[in-house]
Amino acid sequence: MHGLMLRPLQGYLKETFGPAAWTQITRAADVSVDTFEPMLRYDPTLVTRITEAASRILSRPVDAVWEDLGTYLVTNPGYEGVRRLLRFGGVNFAEFLHSLEQLPGRAQLAMPELEVPELILQELDREWFLLTCRFPIRGAALVILGMLRAMADDYGALVVIELDSGPQEDVMTIHLLDASHATARPFQLTVQDR
Amino acid sequence: MDGSLSDADFTLESDVLDRFMPMHMILAADGRVESFGPTLARVLQGQVQAGSRFEDVFEVRSPGGTVTITEVLARSPGRFRLAPRHWPQASSRIGLRGVAMVLPAGGRVLVNLSFGIDLIEAVRKFGLTDADFVATDLAMELLYLAEANTAVTAELRGLNLRLEGARLVAEEEAMSDRLTGLRNRRAADRYLERLCAAGTPFGVLHMDLDFFKAVNDTLGHAAGDHVLGAVGQVLRRQSRAEDCAARIGGDEFVVVLAERTQPEQLRAIAERIIAGVTVPVEFEGQECRISASIGIVRSTDYPNPDPALILADADAALYVAKRAGRGRAVVFDRAVHRGGE
Repeated sequence: MHGLMLRPLQGYLKETFGPAAWTQITRAADVSVDTFEPMLRYDPTLVTRITEAASRILSRPVDAVWEDLGTYLVTNPGYEGVRRLLRFGGVNFAEFLHSLEQLPGRAQLAMPELEVPELILQELDREWFLLTCRFPIRGAALVILGMLRAMADDYGALVVIELDSGPQEDVMTIHLLDASHATARPFQLTVQDR
Repeated sequence: MDGSLSDADFTLESDVLDRFMPMHMILAADGRVESFGPTLARVLQGQVQAGSRFEDVFEVRSPGGTVTITEVLARSPGRFRLAPRHWPQASSRIGLRGVAMVLPAGGRVLVNLSFGIDLIEAVRKFGLTDADFVATDLAMELLYLAEANTAVTAELRGLNLRLEGARLVAEEEAMSDRLTGLRNRRAADRYLERLCAAGTPFGVLHMDLDFFKAVNDTLGHAAGDHVLGAVGQVLRRQSRAEDCAARIGGDEFVVVLAERTQPEQLRAIAERIIAGVTVPVEFEGQECRISASIGIVRSTDYPNPDPALILADADAALYVAKRAGRGRAVVFDRAVHRGGE
């Protein structure tokens, strides 16, 4: 498991529920470290153990923990880079959805050893899309769900997304009700005044 | 079909050129600018009027020595570099890469330009957006990659800083004596080696506590530890930041003083240390009384200072100090202490 996935989970839990809750969660999950390094690799079972411990300790459904992680990745100012890299996918939400098929390719371009879910988009018509997600970790589709909902807000699009989890893959039904429902958050191609 | 568009009636309307090549430019046969695509127009910032001459608008950077479009076409029509003359010095590092061809009818010249690797700088400078690039252009991928690369590099830099911090802490811990807050034997050895290797002169005080065993035996180890802590404070007070004061054994200490080799000066420091150590320390209502003996060595007494020999001689001087009645400091004298060997 790449620390790049564990670090945001740590950030989300620690910032939202406090350092004491985070310590409690890592203890319950039997994790020996308190801080994950984004550039190091960890035991692949860690992420599941942590989300399950968080669910028990915070009395939240584990699905909500996963989805909140996706939201956090897109909306937290500390991860502005994630939002920006996703926005490079397209000028509107529909184009962005189409770019998701390239996500593994894009991720590999940035970091060859980073594993990201395989995503396949089917456009039924202008409003309806099916997104199939395949990844060994069960919560991955929920993280994607959280990210998609947050990205829809980012583009100012009004969408309804439903997740249907299967044993081999998860399928999201995406209903794009209004592509320009609200004002999109600004996006410039380069970071100014670096 | 040979792939060419050779229909006599075939023409490329300017909106077609704009869509496929938003950074194109059409020059008249005499090299005057006739029109340019929308992105190139943005980049030229309205500073270039139709009818201007190519060589007045652009400075050709390669191939070298060419000025007019005719010269460029003759030398390297497939690949040339240029930059608009009106761009201020600040943006002069942005260059344009081009390809050009004489069109069949009327000798007009079609030029297409691109930013190449200067894309990132150009996008920043001119505020370009997705709409300025064709979907088939890899511009977005290049920008994406540059940004991803910056993010990954920043993470790696952060990791390196944190690892370096952890390494320094670990090194500090490996070099210090927890009980007294002084350095340890390893640190003292390393410091001595460094001074010897650098040829820096120095003095060494080798100190052994007197009556320490009595404190340990009668008042217990906690009292002994308390006394050692007090000795640590005395040594820290009497040494400078650049010196190395270390506990190298149970009640054995070494102070290495860089650049101090005067016997009187070293003896004065040693006597101040002994006086400090001799002040009784209270522990749980009990008075702990100890003293110390010190052997002193100067690196300037050796043609080739060697840490092991210096420490052995310091030990010999310390032995003499002990025998002379404790609570004393003795400067090593080869003739006396080693029998003139």
